[in-house]
Amino acid sequence: MSGNSSLVRLEGIHKHFGALHVLKGIDLAVEKSGVVVIIGPSGSGKSTLLRTINLLEEPSAGRVFFDGREITDIRTDVNKVRTEIGIVFQQFNLWPHMTALGNIAISLRKVLKLSQEQARDRALEELEHVGLGNKAGAHPGQLSGGQQQRVAIARALAMRPKLMLFDEITSALDPELVKEVLDTMKRLAHEGMTMVVVTHEMGFAREVGTRLIFMDDGTIVEDGLPKEIFSQPGDARTKSFLSHIL
Amino acid sequence: MASRIERLGEWRSELTLFSLGVLVVGAASLIVAVVGSALFFLVQGVTPYAKLVSSATSPFQASILYTALALALVAVIAGFGTYKRMLTKAAREAVISGGALGLQTVLVCVFYLAFREGDKFSIFVRQFFSFDKLGPFMGQFFNAAKNTVILAFSGQLIGMALGLTLALLVLSNRVVVRAPARVYINFMRGVPLLMLLSVGYLGVVTGLGLDVSVYKAGIVILGLNAGAYSAEIFRSGIQSLERGQLEAARSLGMSYLQAMRYVIVPQAVRRVIPPLMNEFVILIKDTSLIAFLGFAFQDRELLAWASDTYGELFNSTAFTASVLGYLVITLPLIRLVTALERRLRSGLVGIGA
Repeated sequence: MSGNSSLVRLEGIHKHFGALHVLKGIDLAVEKSGVVVIIGPSGSGKSTLLRTINLLEEPSAGRVFFDGREITDIRTDVNKVRTEIGIVFQQFNLWPHMTALGNIAISLRKVLKLSQEQARDRALEELEHVGLGNKAGAHPGQLSGGQQQRVAIARALAMRPKLMLFDEITSALDPELVKEVLDTMKRLAHEGMTMVVVTHEMGFAREVGTRLIFMDDGTIVEDGLPKEIFSQPGDARTKSFLSHIL
Repeated sequence: MASRIERLGEWRSELTLFSLGVLVVGAASLIVAVVGSALFFLVQGVTPYAKLVSSATSPFQASILYTALALALVAVIAGFGTYKRMLTKAAREAVISGGALGLQTVLVCVFYLAFREGDKFSIFVRQFFSFDKLGPFMGQFFNAAKNTVILAFSGQLIGMALGLTLALLVLSNRVVVRAPARVYINFMRGVPLLMLLSVGYLGVVTGLGLDVSVYKAGIVILGLNAGAYSAEIFRSGIQSLERGQLEAARSLGMSYLQAMRYVIVPQAVRRVIPPLMNEFVILIKDTSLIAFLGFAFQDRELLAWASDTYGELFNSTAFTASVLGYLVITLPLIRLVTALERRLRSGLVGIGA
């Protein structure tokens, strides 16, 4: 799995929060254009694992490689690496004091140093891409949860990242708003984006995932094709988890 | 049956009318006592003070007060005697309010009637209400009020700039960055402002022979002190934001400082406007502490003006004027804080640009 085509490679990742041992030696490689779906019971470390990929969580031990470079190297410019890795959060984390357009344009202006016109044009383009071209002037508080989440996706995509991370992004949405967000993710997958997705949406995992990872207690228990794992889980814990949620 | 219900309806409207009556009588009693007396004083003239004394002790003033007292007693008895029998909540609230207003009138009138009988009454009026004597000092009064505002405002500006910087330092992950800021904040919070002013002006400025006026030194010391309090306000404002706000900014490649500047601080500042304004009100009052260092004549603020003027006239009306001066400055601000807090609680500020 750790061939030259892998965009992300994790080697022996451990993470401690005080006395809590959250990740217990994770090895994982994500191939280009792959859609890796991570599932598992709450507290199994899926979100923490996802967040170590863009170093929002610094691993206690182990190394993270992105696009051929070791980004856990102390000399790495983390801010620069993060411009190439988009992340979308469960709670949207849009900035309420800015419009939808402002949320997207600010990092284009200040991080990518685009001109005001370039930033605005690209932000509008991304908003249209998620079907919200007419909401550019709206503040997050004036948008539905689903719309907010699509703005958050557009905000991440506007940086033109090589990798997208999704951290349970439909979990805080009302059921009727889940579909619009999943559809956006599906389209992204079809466009060839490399994605790592932590989710409870098993339909999405089965339909879009090129690979499924089941985590429990800080370790990767199972790693394979979604269809195979869903039909024939190899581990008793996977079997038990799937039987509870399906 | 039908007639019974009809009768209930009649009682209901009669009681509503009655309760309104009690409320009106109670309110009228207070208005007669306070506004009536004030108007009477104004018509008779408030200067020189002897006119005030003669108005206040006149039989006409007594008749105003006894009229108010009579109305008040009616409201109190009718209000507190009947509120349990009211049929609607609105009616009950109305009679209770009427009774309460009446009670306030009784207290005001009884206190005032007793007070004006005392042998110190005319001396009291002369001490605090000899407005004609202030005439020659009024130009300096407005100058002093202006100075109070300038001292407080400049101190607040220094305090906010310093406070925001200190707050960012105190929130650092690194102990070596955090610790000095924390030491400064706790030192400033732990030492009396009068002590800081003494040490700063008497000790440093005059002690080292620096050419700095009390006015300027006062502003700087107020600002250095306000910085510590503003820092705590900014810190709590920043910490009240969700962690995800910062994470979203960092994950898009913003540096810590960029994230603070574009995402965190603008939101935190909105949240801390009411407590910062509260601090400003406190600062306005604290400017009076500088007075003990001795201002230059043109630099005096309200308290310094009041004590100097008292010193010349041996009359406390200067203090009356100066208290009114402070209230004119602070009360609108206090109202504004309350209004802003209400707006913040209803979530409007969080969304608005």
